[in-house]
Amino acid sequence: MEPNQCPNQPIYSDSDFLGPTVDLDETHIQEGYRDGFNDALQSKNQEERESGLKLGFQVGEELGFYRGCIDVWNSALEIDPNCLSSRVKKNIKLMGELIDEYPVLDAKIVDVMDQLRLKFKMISASLGLKLEYDGYPKSSEEQGLDF
Amino acid sequence: MEEALEGNLELKEIQRLEGHSDRVWSLAWNPVAGAAGVPAMLASSSGDKTVRVWQQSGRDWDCVAVLDEPHTRTVRSSAWSPCGKLLATVSFDATAAIWKHAGGDFDCVSTLEGHENEVKSVSWNASGSLLATCSRDKSVWIWEVLPGNEFECVSVLQGHTQDVKMVQWHPFLDILFSCSYDNTVKVWAEDIDSDDWHCVQTLGESNNGHSSTVWALSFNSAGDEMVTCSDDLTLKIWKSEIQKQQVGDGYAPWKHLCTLSGYHDRTIFSVHWSRDGIIASGAADDAIRLFVENKDGQVDGPSSPSYKLLLKKEKAHDMDVNSVQWSSKETRLLASASDDGAIKIWKLESIS
Repeated sequence: MEPNQCPNQPIYSDSDFLGPTVDLDETHIQEGYRDGFNDALQSKNQEERESGLKLGFQVGEELGFYRGCIDVWNSALEIDPNCLSSRVKKNIKLMGELIDEYPVLDAKIVDVMDQLRLKFKMISASLGLKLEYDGYPKSSEEQGLDF
Repeated sequence: MEEALEGNLELKEIQRLEGHSDRVWSLAWNPVAGAAGVPAMLASSSGDKTVRVWQQSGRDWDCVAVLDEPHTRTVRSSAWSPCGKLLATVSFDATAAIWKHAGGDFDCVSTLEGHENEVKSVSWNASGSLLATCSRDKSVWIWEVLPGNEFECVSVLQGHTQDVKMVQWHPFLDILFSCSYDNTVKVWAEDIDSDDWHCVQTLGESNNGHSSTVWALSFNSAGDEMVTCSDDLTLKIWKSEIQKQQVGDGYAPWKHLCTLSGYHDRTIFSVHWSRDGIIASGAADDAIRLFVENKDGQVDGPSSPSYKLLLKKEKAHDMDVNSVQWSSKETRLLASASDDGAIKIWKLESIS
């Protein structure tokens, strides 16, 4: 990526070869700006990578938890298709679809995760399960993944 | 035959019910008791973690049951099912309990978990097929009543941005109302072609709504008007063309009709509209106030009603009045509950 030009950079015509020497302080400003920009870019990439890894892990872990729960519930349904009510079965199916269609490469993921959490709460409540995923914040607290 | 509300009226204290060891938050009259030879029955919920059930016996009232399980914290509210056989109680311990009442005994037949923290209110719909609860976790839950006292979660309604103080079903339509610390009243209805529920209307400041926490709401007997009470020291009356909704004309929105201001100088915690049109309010100034529609000189016609203060009972209790509830069976009979731990039964009558 090309470093941005320092703003207000003077423009010299081709015949003015002494221009940069005369404006030596300006030349130093240009160099300093370019070096600073490159350094910042590198560390920003590093930070972004770390944020991405952290977020990716959090999302993956939570999705995996829900996938596991759905697999267990579906196994139970294979043994006895009537062990759960039609409403609960429908919600399990919808939850499965939400996971399958989860936009892993999209930054705007909070909506789908919220829907998943809601479906999970409803199913757990109907089944009388005291099962909680430890990772996610409660809706009564401030929302938001910090990144 | 109802007597005209004329002349000098007083709210006469009939009985003081004591027994709770902490503040009494809420009251619920059993909807079928109090007529046809069945003595009136009242449930009270308290900070002492119990629910007491009181029954009228001649002139007296006896405590016939103390439900001291399973809640582990304050019981904030309770509600009888329309058939009068089930009592739902909700608590700061984040659960709801369902009690079956048979032959004088109360058995806990189910516990509903799901809310993240303090549950504030519970309400049964008109047919007793649905139960709604609300909580400080900002959500409203709708549960379906299944055979064998099983309850299944139908929907978790999110929309309020703060603690939800009360839920109340419409008296005959399956529409749910909730009010909140976020200053709004929300109306929830089921989607036509699915099991999902969503918010069909929000009554906020932009629709002449309250400017502070809305603590309670109550419907008139016709179901076309609603009164709300608030920390903003006003009562507001709302109206809907509910008859249109009943014939399938689609959702009929609620519109602000009038605001009763200047009558309260402390937060109004409770409001209840009697079958014969008297609005009772309970407030933080320990007083109970009664309002009726002002039918004198109605020159402007029914489109601009006004209400007048019928009666103010100062020092009804020693502390904040948390709940006022008219009996649905005996006219002019009112119960009130307070932070002072007492429950009082009152009769509105002419001064003899």
